[in-house]
Amino acid sequence: MPGARVSFPAGLRAWAGRMALWALGLWAGVAVAADAGPPARTVREALAVASDSPRFPADAAATVQALPDDWSLSRPDYEGSVWYRVTFDAPGAVDRETVLAVYVERVCTNLEVHLNGHHIFNGGRMDEPVARNCYYPQLVPLPAALLRAQGNQLDLKVRGHALEHVSSRQRAAGLSTLRIGPLAELAGTWRTQQFWNVTSAQLVGVTLLVLGVFMIGVGWFNRRASYLMYFGLLAIGWSALTARVWMSEWPVANGTAEFLVTIGFAPVVGLVVVFLLRYARVKRRPIDLLLLAQCVLLPVSLVLAGPAHLYTAITVWYWVLGIEVLVAMVAYLRITWRNQRSEFWVMGAILVLLGLLLVAELALSGGSGSVWRGHVLRYALPLLVLVVSFRLVQVFARALRAAEAGRSTLESRIQEATLVIERNFAQLAELRVEQVTEKERKRIAADLHDDLGAKLLTIVHTSESERISTLAREALEEMRLSVRGLTGKPMRVADALADWRAETVSRLGQAGIEADWNGPTEEIDQLMSARGYVQTTRILREAVSNIIKHSGASHCKVRCTIGPHEVGLVVQDNGRGIPLELDGRLDRGHGMSSMKHRAKQMNGQCLVESGPGYGTVIRLTLPL
Amino acid sequence: MNNILLLEDLPEIRAWIKALVLQVFPQAQISEAARVHDALGLVSAVKFDLALVDLGLPDGSGVDVVAALRESQPEVQSVVVTIHDDDEHLFPALQAGAFGYVLKEQPREHFIEQLSRISQGEPPLSPSIARRVIAYFAAQARPQANSMPRVQLTDRESEVLLRVAKGYTLPEIGVQLSLSRHTIADYVKQIYRKLNVSSRAEAALEAQRLGLFARSF
Repeated sequence: MPGARVSFPAGLRAWAGRMALWALGLWAGVAVAADAGPPARTVREALAVASDSPRFPADAAATVQALPDDWSLSRPDYEGSVWYRVTFDAPGAVDRETVLAVYVERVCTNLEVHLNGHHIFNGGRMDEPVARNCYYPQLVPLPAALLRAQGNQLDLKVRGHALEHVSSRQRAAGLSTLRIGPLAELAGTWRTQQFWNVTSAQLVGVTLLVLGVFMIGVGWFNRRASYLMYFGLLAIGWSALTARVWMSEWPVANGTAEFLVTIGFAPVVGLVVVFLLRYARVKRRPIDLLLLAQCVLLPVSLVLAGPAHLYTAITVWYWVLGIEVLVAMVAYLRITWRNQRSEFWVMGAILVLLGLLLVAELALSGGSGSVWRGHVLRYALPLLVLVVSFRLVQVFARALRAAEAGRSTLESRIQEATLVIERNFAQLAELRVEQVTEKERKRIAADLHDDLGAKLLTIVHTSESERISTLAREALEEMRLSVRGLTGKPMRVADALADWRAETVSRLGQAGIEADWNGPTEEIDQLMSARGYVQTTRILREAVSNIIKHSGASHCKVRCTIGPHEVGLVVQDNGRGIPLELDGRLDRGHGMSSMKHRAKQMNGQCLVESGPGYGTVIRLTLPL
Repeated sequence: MNNILLLEDLPEIRAWIKALVLQVFPQAQISEAARVHDALGLVSAVKFDLALVDLGLPDGSGVDVVAALRESQPEVQSVVVTIHDDDEHLFPALQAGAFGYVLKEQPREHFIEQLSRISQGEPPLSPSIARRVIAYFAAQARPQANSMPRVQLTDRESEVLLRVAKGYTLPEIGVQLSLSRHTIADYVKQIYRKLNVSSRAEAALEAQRLGLFARSF
């Protein structure tokens, strides 16, 4: 009956404990362990004898020792074994359904258990190298066959090392209170304690190892973020240091093991400092060298101090290393405050917390704290390292994204620049072609002017015949227009009209014919080709020449119309008209056919209406 | 018109022009040149009243002779005698100080009339030249072309230029603006003068910018 009553809450507690494991960060173990049920009994004192004998030395004078027993207080400098004897009754032992057990929350460095004279358990080697079980809670089932209803003798042989021979108070010899009760109930407590003491350290170790490898990989491929490599090394170093917690079977004796653990702190702290400086973009070679020297100096100083003064020596070193880290943190925060205000607040908060924990840790290892409450620090520090590393990954990812964005911006800029260059090149090539063409045209024009022009001019002014002189003059004008058509740029229709008006009105005026020019008054922005201008000029000039030479008119009307796609000219005189030839065509001598031909060449039209005595109307339409 | 410079490379044409010039100015002493080099020599030796200058010459451009005359004998009327009637050829000569132009292939009566008109102070002005002059002064008026002794056209001069550019003849403009033929001619003369003054100022500024100005002292 009582067994059934007991086992239920024990199962519940185990379940609760497991839930707590999932909800990492809840101090579930404390909650479960706090209320030990009535069946489990806490043993707070024991008979103690310092002896290396294989059994409890019944003949020696035993003293009553209160538990927990911290050797550094009860027997400083003692190296070796201490036997503890606890006497208890087990009225329920007859009830075979309940298995009893003894639970030892902390025993350092190792223990051996005897029940009623029978050797029932040990936690590993009891001789050097002694199994290092300081962090392992121990649960020892008590075989029912060996139990008596009353007066059971439970003997514990504890092997441990003096505080001076270890590097941390947590590994100094000692024995916690014992609890004797149903195995099922104590197992829950044991599991919880085991998790928080050892498994969590292993988890942290593995996490830091993976994280470290990842960081080193990232840092390796991004040399500009070299601080990631230092952080990775730091994480791996820290991971290695967690071995001091969970590794119990060492192949070396205590002195060597403690030495190995201790010298590991120098490189890790060095990496912390270097990481902080690199993260703040500071690179100082002397500091690096000093930190490297420290990695050598620390072991040398420990060797010189000797294993008997390990704790004192390492405590000094802890303070030195701790102050180094604090100084590095302050330096980092100052630089970050100046350069990257946003980063300051995040890292500042983390580092201040870290600093506080570090001070606490130092104070604790200095002796002013309880060994039994040291766990918080062990979890908080790696947790902070994790937070920092997540922050680093975040920062790095952001930088990566920024770099990616920068790269794509650059790419698009290059693309734009390439386009501009290509366009410029095409324009240049075009321009070059235009320049060459223009130059060639100018050369031809100059040749025409200088050679042909000069000869025609000479004919104009030396010919005896007025007809030849006129022909040569006309040829000269033709040549000039041709050159203009060759070299000219497109011109505004308004300018062309102005030129035509000036020439026509001026020529008619000189010939004594009244001119009436009727052109568009609004602004015209259309352009016409040089060729179109030249051909139209020729046709108009021919028409005006005809009027002056042949028509005998006294009045001439010119009407210009500008459409969206064509220009229209109507030249009307009041002369005698053009006589028809025999075949019904208009007189060729008046140049009508050449006018028509030119209009046709321009895809235009030149209509001539004339009759003797009715004057002449020339309608010219040319596309623009 | 006592001393006249005649620069023309074609002998027949030179003879033809010389004959016509003598018709207009029977008393004139005509110094003939066929090359820019010879003409420049004459310019530095003889004081002229009128210069007839061809543009396309074997050893250079008549524009240089016009510029040299404007420099050493500012009172001389330089007239360009050419077969080029386009503004591209004529405008530089006008900028250099030429005072009108005559086309060579014209019948003698027209040639004589134009020459006498120019010598009486009535230079011709074609729409295309007028457009160039308008564009030139518009560019000068832009604020970028600062630090230059600004030569500006009066409203009346601009008005005349604009009307010429639109194709109205000078007599027509005289009627439109109710101005006498002489007044219109004065405006045109003034436009040519200002074109030359402004161009020279611009050239001086350009020279200064290139350091030539400083070196000449």
